[in-house]
Amino acid sequence: MNGGTEMTETIDRRRLLTSAVVGSAALAGATALGSLAPEAAFAAGDQAVEPGAPDPNFAEGRITGISAGMLFVTGSDLALWRIRITGGTSIWKLRPTTFDQVTVGDGLYARGLRLPDGTLAADSVWVNIVNVHAHIAAIGRNVLHLDHKGKRIVGHLVPGTSAARYNNTPAVADMSLLRVGKHVQVIGAWVPDTNEVEIATVYAAA
Amino acid sequence: MAALTGTMSWFCCGNSWGPCGTAGHGACGTCNSGSYQHAWPNASAACFNITRPDTCGVSMTRRGCGFRHYTTNRCNGKRIGTTIADCGPQTDLWCGERACCGSVCGTNRIVDLTPAAYSQIASLSSGLQPCSVDTV
Amino acid sequence: MISWIAPLQPLLLGLVLLWSARLKLLSPHAAAAAGRSALARLVGEGRALPAYRLVGGVEAALGLVLLAPPAVPAEALASAALSLGFAGYLAYARLAAPDSSCGCLSATRTPVRWRSFARTGGLLAASLLALPASASWFDVLRTRPLPAVALLLAEVAVLVALSPELDRHWLDPLRQLKVRLTRPLPAGGFEVPLDSTVEQLHRSPVWRETAALLTSDLREHWDDDEWRILIFTARHAGQEASAVYAVPRQRYQPAAVRVVLVDEPTGRVLLSLQSPPDAPEPDWVRASPATAAAY
Repeated sequence: MNGGTEMTETIDRRRLLTSAVVGSAALAGATALGSLAPEAAFAAGDQAVEPGAPDPNFAEGRITGISAGMLFVTGSDLALWRIRITGGTSIWKLRPTTFDQVTVGDGLYARGLRLPDGTLAADSVWVNIVNVHAHIAAIGRNVLHLDHKGKRIVGHLVPGTSAARYNNTPAVADMSLLRVGKHVQVIGAWVPDTNEVEIATVYAAA
Repeated sequence: MAALTGTMSWFCCGNSWGPCGTAGHGACGTCNSGSYQHAWPNASAACFNITRPDTCGVSMTRRGCGFRHYTTNRCNGKRIGTTIADCGPQTDLWCGERACCGSVCGTNRIVDLTPAAYSQIASLSSGLQPCSVDTV
Repeated sequence: MISWIAPLQPLLLGLVLLWSARLKLLSPHAAAAAGRSALARLVGEGRALPAYRLVGGVEAALGLVLLAPPAVPAEALASAALSLGFAGYLAYARLAAPDSSCGCLSATRTPVRWRSFARTGGLLAASLLALPASASWFDVLRTRPLPAVALLLAEVAVLVALSPELDRHWLDPLRQLKVRLTRPLPAGGFEVPLDSTVEQLHRSPVWRETAALLTSDLREHWDDDEWRILIFTARHAGQEASAVYAVPRQRYQPAAVRVVLVDEPTGRVLLSLQSPPDAPEPDWVRASPATAAAY
């Protein structure tokens, strides 16, 4: 399949889905179609895994190989994982992204369903995601120098992607309220084998 | 017993990659990112001195390593049982901070789940969600 | 030259020790600082505060003796011994309790790092420098006021620079001043960040109705005129489907969020939801009446 056809298909598909959700504007009011099964709306269910125990449907580690639709991952506890990516799998790497953006050497967390052959059929994959609590030691041009447990982390702001949440305000692109010395929580994407992260969201106790 | 409401986040522990690599196995020595575990701000007296939830007006019972809590994501009703494996979150640094879903809001950070536990009831890309914590 | 430098050191050491003792003996945050320090690990949680106070008492006593004439070598030796003790404590803290705070000169949380060791080394050097002192610091201040004050200020400046717990009083404001002058961070543009849209989605009634159906994180998104379209994978009535949310792009109106569940291979719409049905709220969205108190 060449790129042009693929792009046309993507546009057609998106047009279809868009009109499905916003095209039905005439039906203002309550639920228009279908119904929520009560048990689906409250999907608590019984927990299969004991509290405190490892979850077999969750994987963690570094990617050591990639082949068609499959990620080969070595866990930090040296467990080996085969993770299957399908059209229904979400892939996060700083932002929602696609399979071709994932590279060998990336770290990941994945959640899905463990199949009898040991493969994890992934529902969601988060690549290089980190959640660090730190305080801002210094601020440079589009950079936050973070002090994290006595170690320095360089946090890069990515224009168009990075957002800030100041206490009770909605997420905004305005980073100018960040202050040196203040405490922050950063959701970001680690740059493998460095002390750098690209910032997705920074939570600041303004 | 009434549930404690607030907000939840996630943290990594145990063997790991990236900035998590140095995290260690937590205050209880048992913490692993892949297990159903959580950090609790009042896991010991020393822990309480660090997290100080009381400065935000939150009083929580002291409960030691291995104690079971059940955390409900108030955005979707999904719930998970986990055991205490570390000290945290640092509640006092975030007094008054809120996270909301619809009209439902949680105020103050009361629990941090491991990635395995958090991803079972929320998305790791969301750093903060309203929650309630029960003992049953 | 050493003849006037040596007698000044007891003054410096005395002042530093009294400052340090002030936190441990008088500060209302002493208990918390003791609990956070590596002392809690070293002597046990219950004994951390008494041990902390004891250290403060020793510091205060030695500080006063150092300040009071005459200058005797024994005082300098005691000060050197105390500095060595601090160095040992720091090394213990670094190795045994790397997450603990120093608890040294202020109640501010300060992990032990190289600056703490350098400062202790500085105090040790000052103690050794004080050994040959014969005159009193008071005499030196009287006879050579300018060089004496200059030296003391320089030494204090070095100690302050080596004290991470004092950064917030001078280094952070300086860096913040630079930030205010150079404005290195973006103040935001017209583009609404995706995170902002996701947050609006989370705030919507439709999300609360359907979030439990979702099995994946956000898969894909695009903008269409006034809407931002967000795609998740959902499971509904035993069938996998795409949850297609439309969220207002430029305005904040969570109630306007709508969703359809689409079976992508066939294009069939399984469910369409615009505003919540009049069903009562499920239990988990209600705040408990007696939250904190009962817990």
